[in-house]
Amino acid sequence: MINELPYERLLQECLRGELRLLNAYLPRQQKLLSDLLREEYPHVVCTDGSTHLFKRKELKYLASLINDDEQEALLLPMLIGVSSGQGEMAIICRGEVEEKVISKILDMPVTPKQQRIMIYKPQLSILRQMLKTTTQYLFSPKIIE
Amino acid sequence: MPQLVKVRPTKIELIKLRRRLFLAERIQKIVKDRLSILTLEFLQIARETVEAKRKLINNFSELYRALSIAAGYHGYIALEKELIASERDLEIAAGSRNIAGTRIPTFELKEAERGIRGYNLVDTSSWFDQTAQLSEKCLEAIVVMAELQSSLELLGREINRTKRIVNALEYLVIPGLQATIKYLKMKFEERDREEKSRLKRVKVLLEQR
Repeated sequence: MINELPYERLLQECLRGELRLLNAYLPRQQKLLSDLLREEYPHVVCTDGSTHLFKRKELKYLASLINDDEQEALLLPMLIGVSSGQGEMAIICRGEVEEKVISKILDMPVTPKQQRIMIYKPQLSILRQMLKTTTQYLFSPKIIE
Repeated sequence: MPQLVKVRPTKIELIKLRRRLFLAERIQKIVKDRLSILTLEFLQIARETVEAKRKLINNFSELYRALSIAAGYHGYIALEKELIASERDLEIAAGSRNIAGTRIPTFELKEAERGIRGYNLVDTSSWFDQTAQLSEKCLEAIVVMAELQSSLELLGREINRTKRIVNALEYLVIPGLQATIKYLKMKFEERDREEKSRLKRVKVLLEQR
C-alpha cells in the first residue's frame, strides 16, 4: 500500500491540510459597502469561523470612487479567482459597479466576460496594493475537480 | 532515482496508482499557484516595508528636530508639563486578514478627534503644534510598520513551508508514482510475454503428441 512508505503518511496529512486551507478563509456571506461603512469594526465571518477585518481607509477609498447608489450594490470582499498554471486572474463581478471600481483603480477600461474581469499579474499587484483587505483570492473548484 | 511505491503487481493497484498520480499532479498545480500568489504578496509587502521604513525614519528625524526647537522655545519644564497634559489613550483596531490560507494581522489606528490634543493652546506656540502633528504621523507610521513587518515574517515562513511541499511533490511523490506505474506496466508486459511463450510451448507439446 502507498501508506507503507514512512514519509507518505506525513505528506498525505500535509496535502489534506493544504486543500483544507485553500478556500477556508472565504467569507460566508459578502457584505455591501454601504453596510460596512456603517459598522464600527467592519468585518465578515469566514467559512472557517474566523473574522476578516476590513480597513476603514480602504472602504472610504472605495466609497470615494463610486456614488451612493453604487455603494448599495458593491459586495465586499471582491473575489479574485486564481486559474491553474495561467498568468491571468479573474475578478468575479455581479454588476457594473465592480467593473467601474476596477477600471478606475487600474486606470484602464475593463470588460467583464461571463461575469468575470480578466486581469494579469502586474495589474493584480496594483489592485492588491490598493485593496488589501477588500479583495480575497479564490482558488477555483475547476482546478480541484 | 525515484523510490518505488510498495504495491502488489495487480491491475487494481495500477488503476489506484494512476488515480493517485492524477490527484498528486492536481494538488501540485494548486500548491504551485498558492506559492506564486504568496511570493507575489511577499514581494509587494517587502517593497512596502522598505517604503514604510524610509517614511518612519524621515518622520522621526523631523519630529526630533521639531521637538528640540519646541524644547528650546518653551524650556524643558514647560514642555514636560504640556506633554503630560496631552497624554491620551490610543485606539487600534486589530484583526486579521487572509492571503491564500495565511492568516495575517491587520492594525488600524483609530482616528482621534482632530484639534483636541489636551495641551493649553494659549501657553504653547506653533512649534508645539507642529511637534504634536508630527508625533501623530510617527504613531501612524509605527502601526503601519508593525503590520508590514509581521506580515513579511509570516509570509516568508509560509512560503518556505509551501516550497517544501511543492518540492516533495515534484521530486519525490510524482516521480515515485510514475516509476511505480512504469514498473507495473513492464511487469504486466513481461507476464504477457511469459504467457505467450508458455502457450506456444504447450501448443508444440500438443502437436508432438
